[in-house]
Amino acid sequence: MSKLTTRWVRGTLAAAAIVPLMALALVPMNVGAVAAAASAKPFKVCMGTGGQGLNWQTGQGQVLQSIAHKEGWSSVVLSNNNSATTTVNNVEVFIQDGCNAVVEFNPASPGDVPAMQAKFAAAKIPVITFDVPEPGAYFVGIDNLKAGIEGGQMLGKIIKSKWACNLDLLIASHAHGAGTVDTQRTGGMITGVLDECPTIPQSKIVNDEGGGQVSVALPAGRNVLAADPTAKRIAVVGINDSTVVGTIEAAEQLGRSADIIGWGQDGSLVTGANVDPHLLGSVFYFLEGYPEAALPLLKEIAAGHAPPVKDDTHNNPEVLLQPCPVTAAQARNVPGYSARLQKLMQSAAGTTEYALFCPNK
Amino acid sequence: MAEDTLPELAQGTPTPDGPMMARPVRPAVTLRSFWGNRSRPEGTGTGIVIVGAWGALVLGSALYRSDFLSHQTLLAVTFTMAIVGVLSVGQALVAISGAILDLSVPTALILPSWAIVSLLGQGINIFLVILAALAVGGAWGLFNALIIVFGKINPIIVTLGTNFAGAAMLNILFENAQTPISSGLAKWGQGKFLGLPNIFWPMLLVVALAGYFVPRSRVGRHMIAVGGSSQAARARGISLRKTRFAVFVISGMLSGVAALLFTASDLYFIPNDGSNFLLPTLATIIVAGIALSGGAGNLWLVLLSVGFISTVTTALAFYGLSDVWQQPPPGAILMIAVSIDGYRRIRSRR
Amino acid sequence: MTLSSEGVIGAQSPASARQGWGRFTELAGGAVGSIGITLVVVVIVGLTWVGGSFFSKGNMTIIGQAAAVPLLVGTFSGFALLAGVVDLSIGSNAGFCAVVFAYLAAHGWGGWQAAGVVLIVSLAVGTVNAVALVGFGANPIAATLGMLTVLRGLAYVVCYGSAGGIPKLIPGLYSFTNREAGPLPLIFVLVLLFVVGATVVAMRSRVGRHVRAVGGDEVAALRAGISVTRVRSAVLLLSAFGAGLGGILWEGQLGGATNLLGTGLEFQVYAALMIGGYSILRGGVGNPAGGAMGLLVVAGVTDIIDVKAVNTYYTNVIIGILLVLVVFLDRLRGGDSFE
Repeated sequence: MSKLTTRWVRGTLAAAAIVPLMALALVPMNVGAVAAAASAKPFKVCMGTGGQGLNWQTGQGQVLQSIAHKEGWSSVVLSNNNSATTTVNNVEVFIQDGCNAVVEFNPASPGDVPAMQAKFAAAKIPVITFDVPEPGAYFVGIDNLKAGIEGGQMLGKIIKSKWACNLDLLIASHAHGAGTVDTQRTGGMITGVLDECPTIPQSKIVNDEGGGQVSVALPAGRNVLAADPTAKRIAVVGINDSTVVGTIEAAEQLGRSADIIGWGQDGSLVTGANVDPHLLGSVFYFLEGYPEAALPLLKEIAAGHAPPVKDDTHNNPEVLLQPCPVTAAQARNVPGYSARLQKLMQSAAGTTEYALFCPNK
Repeated sequence: MAEDTLPELAQGTPTPDGPMMARPVRPAVTLRSFWGNRSRPEGTGTGIVIVGAWGALVLGSALYRSDFLSHQTLLAVTFTMAIVGVLSVGQALVAISGAILDLSVPTALILPSWAIVSLLGQGINIFLVILAALAVGGAWGLFNALIIVFGKINPIIVTLGTNFAGAAMLNILFENAQTPISSGLAKWGQGKFLGLPNIFWPMLLVVALAGYFVPRSRVGRHMIAVGGSSQAARARGISLRKTRFAVFVISGMLSGVAALLFTASDLYFIPNDGSNFLLPTLATIIVAGIALSGGAGNLWLVLLSVGFISTVTTALAFYGLSDVWQQPPPGAILMIAVSIDGYRRIRSRR
Repeated sequence: MTLSSEGVIGAQSPASARQGWGRFTELAGGAVGSIGITLVVVVIVGLTWVGGSFFSKGNMTIIGQAAAVPLLVGTFSGFALLAGVVDLSIGSNAGFCAVVFAYLAAHGWGGWQAAGVVLIVSLAVGTVNAVALVGFGANPIAATLGMLTVLRGLAYVVCYGSAGGIPKLIPGLYSFTNREAGPLPLIFVLVLLFVVGATVVAMRSRVGRHVRAVGGDEVAALRAGISVTRVRSAVLLLSAFGAGLGGILWEGQLGGATNLLGTGLEFQVYAALMIGGYSILRGGVGNPAGGAMGLLVVAGVTDIIDVKAVNTYYTNVIIGILLVLVVFLDRLRGGDSFE
């Protein structure tokens, strides 16, 4: 066969494949939807998880599915992949999937993707957001600002008693990709420290980008510490345990860890056998257990008695979870993530992790 | 300057490097090097540029803040140099052998890291763990090489694909991993030897061994020849297949070494941490003047390059830029560095 | 001198319908060939696994909305690939432009004025790229990687004071990006039309021939009197412009912009374009239609995985395998072989 003929054949085959494809695309087929409408559909709850590589985000999805299963609901969990475009695309999927209620952990801070809530509102689907308030949605979560401040105050008290508020350096390790969660938690921690020690000057506070991960906080911390080579008394706050521990490890590497103390957030590195001795405490949110706290609200929605959404969701949350600040010593009695998750799934519906695990309620 | 002061690797004609990525059309005429004098060691020009830039940076920072020149700065820089340095040597070998780039650095780092941490968690002896790290790293390199050699597909495309799949598989396999604090590895990783980090010395050793052995060993010389011209190498009887396998397995084993340094110094990691290392590794070998068209490259320059780039982020902290402003400058420096390098190559062709 | 690009129509007089069909199939066969088959496979998998609802209006909306901006950006950048230049900064550029657009709009600028400024900014980025790559002869992968880092950092800086993102839903733009044209989103249809136009330009116009000549054989193109530097600079500007336009559309779709927007887009787009027949290693191969099919394949796979609620990491596993497989098959059909 000559070259032209092979191309003919291939081209014709390809065109034969493409043309019906295009035709199909122009003829919307609602076969699936029609078949489903025939039978009574169970309540469908859907969730978009954060997708930021944090284990509790997957956990939230797993707990929700377990709850839904117990209630006889159907559920769909997708990852928002830490991406605004994926988040909004998932909204479309949820709408097409016929979700009756959606839970969102929006990795792109609220209001940065107004399209999300706009689409849900247009489709008249009730939305519950975890931890990140969104106008028009029910807010279930911690007050991140308050949690940050409380953690900061606990560290501040130690700075006061240990050093009489005379410290050389306060490092705040941020994750700017986390939006308002970072501004409130990390910013809140700084506020809390200053509450206890108002004499700490701004010049002693350094903000760096720790990325919320040890691998990013480590080199960033090394650079900050090198740039202040004489600082001895060092305190560390940050958006989560990983970023604080990373900064502390940087001090250990540079031989500056004699007088360093840190307080974390989210409690992910304050349990287990590998707790860094300089991490004096953290604040448990028991994030993976949030769906349990949202269960009463979901039941109301499922029963058709959805309460009105409060106007100012930030100051007026639907369900406010309590943060659980702990010292490292207290955290020894708290089981690790996997154990907590397992216990929670086995407990009666509606049991919160706070009730199960917080050592100082 | 004596010929063997800076062990160089190019044995033949400097390759003409145009702005295109692909293997350029080769003119029949031999080109003169930048200095017009072929007895100059390869890469001298680039080396001088890097040292110059580095010197300017250090001087400028020291003038801006006199406490820049401290042991703390040295520690911060050398800690940062260690892992990227080892990965860069592997990447340099890939580039020199004409395989352009290995984009699967993230997976190559995290896969052995996960193996290390899993084995340590089960109390396996550290020597076996080290062997396992090298084996797993080498296996990943072998996997890439199999597809490259038997599929006869360009390595940059293969490694782009295998990294897409590999990094995703790692995320499916595990969510986070911890190096046991009580392990010898963790203690070693946080420690120092002769005033410099423990993890720095293996990196130095790797660079020294590679810099010494690549131009002198059979495998190394084959790599250079294949990178220079695969047809010519084949005509000389060099097995392209064996050389490619060697390059990727060795490079993979080097990622195993890097994984040991990583898990020793970073005691808690997630699968996506690997992606932080790709850009610095690529930037390092490019600033080091390793030609992506293959056949030439000076491994000592890799050391200079990683030192320079690591100093940049530390210096930025001294200028009060430890927050969001830390990201743009290294990118700008990379652009400026390759522009200077490209300009030199254009001028040397006239 | 023959051009090595696929789907090039030889200089033959269109005498009969048979020859006309022949030329069409040559274009389609060459360009579409294996990528067409891949697309058909994806569709078949979609229909069997997801069911008839795969082609429902709702699902087409999902796919169309998700694919619109990558398709737009990829088509523009495809021209750079044709000329033998890889621009790895497109993702960060699109994200940066989206952020700047949101910032201006949120600070009182009118939508059109803000868009104009943003497009100028994107062209400025393209100019810097061109100066580095063409003026200084910098290695494209390295230099555009550097630009990627710079722009990502600048996006962080712009979003710094506003907690990592800037919300600004511009009603006109939002409704435009969400409007439907029949069963498909309007912007998706517009982008598809653009792809058709781009294919014609790339394969049939003088400009397109010059671009492909520069990518195929630089020395020969020079001898033929084509200004290589001008062509390369132009495609870099085009690539950056596409990113800017994409960023504006993103802001419209999302009603805001975040500092992480666009991360990883370049790897996805180039993997998809390569699945569609382009090469990041040599110019002169591929064409917009094929590239678009590659992007649709990726969009289709992503959609199937989403709709079936499978772990989304498997999307990347499939893309990785597909990339290697398609390039392998292409090599068997006579593409480049790497020794």
